[in-house]
Amino acid sequence: MTITLDKPINSIKPPKPWAKRNKSTVVNNAIAVILPTVVLGILFFTTEIPGPVLVVVVFFPLQLLTAGVTSFMDKGKRGIGDSLLSVGCVSAFGLVVALLGSVVLSVIARGLPAMKFNFLFQNNIYISPTTELTYGGIGHALLGTLLVVFIASIIAVPLGIASAIYITDIKGRAAGFVRFMVQAMSGVPSIVAGLFIFAAIILTDVVGFSAIAGGLAYAILMLPTVARTAEEVLRLVPKEVRDAAVALGSSRARVTMRIVLPTAKTGLITAVVLGVARIIGETAPLLLTTSNANNTNLNPFRDPVSTIPVYIFQYLGSGYQTSIQRAWGAALVLLLAVTILFALTRYLSRNKKGNV
Amino acid sequence: MTMDATRIASTTNVDMEATGVRVPNTPQDAHPRNPEDANVHLETKDVHIWFGQRLIIEKVNLSFPENSVTALIGPSGCGKSTFIRTLNRMHEFIPGAALAGQILYDGQDIYDAQVDPVDIRVQIGMVFQKPNPFPTMSIKENVLSGLHLAQIKYENPDEIVRNCLERASLWTEVKDRLNASASSLSGGQQQRLCIARSLAVNPKVLLMDEPCSALDPGSTRRIEGTIKELSQEMTIVIVTHNMAQAQRVSDYTAFFLAEEGAPAQVVESGRTDEIFMRPKDPRTNDYVNGLFG
Repeated sequence: MTITLDKPINSIKPPKPWAKRNKSTVVNNAIAVILPTVVLGILFFTTEIPGPVLVVVVFFPLQLLTAGVTSFMDKGKRGIGDSLLSVGCVSAFGLVVALLGSVVLSVIARGLPAMKFNFLFQNNIYISPTTELTYGGIGHALLGTLLVVFIASIIAVPLGIASAIYITDIKGRAAGFVRFMVQAMSGVPSIVAGLFIFAAIILTDVVGFSAIAGGLAYAILMLPTVARTAEEVLRLVPKEVRDAAVALGSSRARVTMRIVLPTAKTGLITAVVLGVARIIGETAPLLLTTSNANNTNLNPFRDPVSTIPVYIFQYLGSGYQTSIQRAWGAALVLLLAVTILFALTRYLSRNKKGNV
Repeated sequence: MTMDATRIASTTNVDMEATGVRVPNTPQDAHPRNPEDANVHLETKDVHIWFGQRLIIEKVNLSFPENSVTALIGPSGCGKSTFIRTLNRMHEFIPGAALAGQILYDGQDIYDAQVDPVDIRVQIGMVFQKPNPFPTMSIKENVLSGLHLAQIKYENPDEIVRNCLERASLWTEVKDRLNASASSLSGGQQQRLCIARSLAVNPKVLLMDEPCSALDPGSTRRIEGTIKELSQEMTIVIVTHNMAQAQRVSDYTAFFLAEEGAPAQVVESGRTDEIFMRPKDPRTNDYVNGLFG
């Protein structure tokens, strides 16, 4: 069927002939969408069966069935595969969104009562488990987390990017081994990283519980993420671009520093952010390295320091109503911090032309 | 004249060797009959090339006279691109690559231990098959990039940029947007930008590996014009699949051919007009007349 242009060409909406549907297709699609939902609704309000069970046992199979049958009526055999795949993918997507949404929503709902001005800016001195929410806060833990993550980053980012360069650009003799070690490192359980730092530098009295110890433990966890992502990104820099630089009379170091790294800049920022996201919520290694504190401690080399994950851990288990609310508030702050971090990366790595 | 040069001369100029007569160079004829008779700039002696254990190219003896254009022609996959990459030491980056023989640049073997490959690449520039401007840099930065990368001091960046872009016949098209990203240019413009970029470091030799294979006829014609002009001041070696292009731009031609299962060799080399009009070897005749390849 072609579209006849009886009206002046500039007065009509640009047509899309491929978007046309038969009437029967429209009806079939409507049945496939509405029928399972209606059945689900009726069963939900008339029986005692819990909603999630209904969705899994009744709605999902029914949806697959109706989609399969209606598309068979519509397009024959070919339609069945298409429709089952669509239903499967949309359902999986819906499940993930529902899970993520319920996590976010419950954190927001339970964290909001604690979100007072003082909560972000005050520390935990003189606060007992039953103190009202208008006093005290997680300012000290927020600063502590920033400090520990910063220390981890200044150690893990240069090391991670350097090992990625070693693997992709220098292609040294040990490249395969380095790669293997990086992969093995990414499997290290976080508490083992904490235990290692605890045994290596705290028990040996190099430093006590402190931000630097926590930063080192975090760095062990962050390094493989940064290194692997950076390696992927550096591989994306086209060989032609490297060739061009070499053919212009560039030393290997200058090819890397002036051409490869700038070309991969946005990808490398992503590598750093993924590394930070990997560690920022880790609690176990900090329990063994930074311990916990109620005061604000900005000296990275001595004395315990509070961090948000440890604060949450401490308060969630206390059993007092206000303390639990504080823990949820801290969880909300952590969630917001990660969100801001990701938004910032997206902004910094707006896909400028030519960048990897 | 070395043994090898004699051998290549004997394959290309059988008639003259036999009569013992050398055709004198007339004033109008800037390019002598034999590449060896000109002021040789770059020369390969018994060059063999391997990848791993596999011999790709066998015994190539070629001379590239100063300020002339030499075309390397031959069927796909016969190793022309591999060969040209040995001329500025780009070949050694390929894992498993190996090389025997000598490549003499102004009489100096570029593979000598005391030669710094970086110096060689500054003097022997290269333009690749696929335009490859640096994507994060502007047009102007691209032209100057070679000077930065090779750590060459310079004054008057604007003048250099203008001069190089003019020689690459790109200036008029980009003079109002020198700070635009190089990726905003069309394919043909990008390739001319790559030529301008190579010119900025003042190479004495320019290697071109099928520089027009990805371009439309208009861009190809402009680049051919550029090649002709550049050959007044530098030695150019160009790999091309386009027979007509070889005839249009080159003074000398070398025909590479790999017989089935055997490594590639130079079947015939000499003045372009002779290779195309009066080929000595029947295989050359078949190839240039489009009977195979």
